[in-house]
Amino acid sequence: MEGEYEGLVTRAIAFAIDAAIINLVAIVVAAGMALALSVLHLPSGLDPVLVASGATAYALWSFGYFVVFWSSTGQTPGDRVMRIRVRMEGRGEPPRPARALVRMVGLLLAAIPLFAGFLTILVDDRRRGLHDLLAGTVVVSAREEPLPPLRGRHAAAPLTRVG
Amino acid sequence: MAPVERAALTAGAIGAAVLKRGERATLAALDSLLASRIAAEIVDRVLASTLVRRAVDRALEEGVVEHAADRLLEGQELERVVQSALDSPAVDRLIARVMQSEELWRVVDEIAHSPEVTDAIAQQSIGFADQVAGGVRARSRSADTWIETKVRRALRRGPAPASDGG
Repeated sequence: MEGEYEGLVTRAIAFAIDAAIINLVAIVVAAGMALALSVLHLPSGLDPVLVASGATAYALWSFGYFVVFWSSTGQTPGDRVMRIRVRMEGRGEPPRPARALVRMVGLLLAAIPLFAGFLTILVDDRRRGLHDLLAGTVVVSAREEPLPPLRGRHAAAPLTRVG
Repeated sequence: MAPVERAALTAGAIGAAVLKRGERATLAALDSLLASRIAAEIVDRVLASTLVRRAVDRALEEGVVEHAADRLLEGQELERVVQSALDSPAVDRLIARVMQSEELWRVVDEIAHSPEVTDAIAQQSIGFADQVAGGVRARSRSADTWIETKVRRALRRGPAPASDGG
């Protein structure tokens, strides 16, 4: 037993935190790249190539972010804040990279029809969305572990973090 | 007035005059003693002896110091002294000099960058963020339960079975 299945609102907030992190990093990187390119005076014919490269990099970054976190710890930073975790159904372990990729594709498919793919979370007994059903995953609450003590005299405060 | 009474009054006046003169003579002798080298030598010898230390030890043992401190703290004298010290322009000048000294800001800088202080601030920040996140988590889970109850009721489905977290 690992905890309760997590619902739509909690997962949506975790996703919003992740989206904020992804876009913040993307904006900072894009601003840096734009500054660098403005110095180089590249021909205007390269603009479509640069835009396509930027879009590809953004897509890879977004996919990579979710796939790496899901397949390594089962938790994105947003999941960590909301203390939820992605697990393989019935096995209790994080999904492998291929499964995480399937889940990411399923996430996009669930979002395309006006986010209707997420509504199954509200009625499914295990609170699974379309992406969970495709990848065979569930989202459960993460247990809490004490934070490691800080150095110095101010250590061992009674805080917890998800583990 | 009877001769006896007159004699008594005269004797009293003579006695008072003698006492007054005696007092003056005693004080004059004391002044000359204190001004002499002997007085200084006496003080030096008394301080060099164990007498002062014994007196201090006894005073501490008998609680004289505590009593004096209590008396000082309870009374208005200390408050008046502190108040007059704070009201004096010397304090303002002293504070202004301290604030202008580079040593003070060096000490403040050292304290601000010390690991203990930065750790304490970090710990406080983590604690505050964790508190906020805890509030958000509790509300989001309540919202999840509320929405699912409404949707399941609208779809005429029974309540969700107890989860085992699979």
